[in-house]
Amino acid sequence: MTSLANLCSKAKTYLYKNYGENPGTMLVHTGVLGWILSAIAQVTAVLINDKISKKEKWFLIPQETADAFINIASFYIVTSSFKNVASKLVSTGKLSTKNIRNFIKEKGIDPAKYIGNINSNIGNDFPEIKKEYKNFKNGVDVVASTVGSIISCNIITPVLRNQYASKTQKDIMSKNKTQEETRFSKTPALSMDAYQKMASVKYSSGNLKI
Amino acid sequence: MAISSIKSFITNTSLYKRAAKTARHVEQKALNVLPDKVCINEKFIKSMDYLGKNFSSDKQRLALGVTALVTQPFIDAHNKSVDEKTRKVSVARTIAKIIAGTFTGFFIRYGCIKAIKAFSQIPAKGVPKYKSLFTPKGITDNTTEAFEQYRNAMGTVVALGVMVFTNFLIDVPLTKFLTNMFIKHQEEDKK
Repeated sequence: MTSLANLCSKAKTYLYKNYGENPGTMLVHTGVLGWILSAIAQVTAVLINDKISKKEKWFLIPQETADAFINIASFYIVTSSFKNVASKLVSTGKLSTKNIRNFIKEKGIDPAKYIGNINSNIGNDFPEIKKEYKNFKNGVDVVASTVGSIISCNIITPVLRNQYASKTQKDIMSKNKTQEETRFSKTPALSMDAYQKMASVKYSSGNLKI
Repeated sequence: MAISSIKSFITNTSLYKRAAKTARHVEQKALNVLPDKVCINEKFIKSMDYLGKNFSSDKQRLALGVTALVTQPFIDAHNKSVDEKTRKVSVARTIAKIIAGTFTGFFIRYGCIKAIKAFSQIPAKGVPKYKSLFTPKGITDNTTEAFEQYRNAMGTVVALGVMVFTNFLIDVPLTKFLTNMFIKHQEEDKK
């Protein structure tokens, strides 16, 4: 059986090998991990909270899970797409520095065939300029990951979440109306005021990003 | 072992090969559409270099928080599918969440990255064992860029673990306090 020390050692080596030269990838992956841990914490908090009734939990847990799914999926899809497109632009020379472009020309390679070719990879093909290429690529990756995460967390997610939350609110209101009319339920249905109160005191009501 | 054999099985199927070929074809088409850009501005190239080396997750969290303060309250304030009261509460709560989340998110990441730096020294005579607690095996140079990035990554992972708890211990009460404060201000302004 693997000991804890062995596991820690493997984790350290994994982080060093995978993120040592890829800060952009690290930002995307740790961002996703942050969202996942945050979502697990929110759902656990609802699950273990004695003040929330079983009936309310049945409503809150799927809502929290759906929220988490929207957050994680939009963050990963948008951020990693931005990062991957930026990486591809730099590795194929579509986005480049003057020195890198001049070096390729000096090597006698036809830019028309090489630049923008999906099979081109400046980092592997020209080890002589690897340092300059890597520095530029890491910077572009980091900027792309950050711009992607800003668009995802600060624009796409709030819009999607608002739509989802307003739909949930409307569903509750129409359900309440039906219950009042038919008087099927002996216990009072969840009122709008109660819903708002619950939403303002519950641990999340959307993205409490860590 | 099992994962790598499953991966190898999937990547060897004809369906996967065909899908990968189509994806590459689409990627190539997209690349052909995009214009070439050669950066000649030295300042821009240097700033890319600087950001690649120094822009770690704590700074990214700060950037996310600052931009969130501009966009998210605006989105909530213009959410026409809820009534005015709900809209105001949601704006107050969003601002409170951003302030609390950015405050803890930035400082905990920053602190953990600093701490990992202190505890990832190269094992040597005179260096206590605990100071190389986070140093991966076989590392002899702690001045390389790859090692600096490793420290950022490890610091971020540790920070995420810490924040699972501070999320409830600091973020939640601080968000609640700030939300109530903002709502009180809104009501006073109304009067």
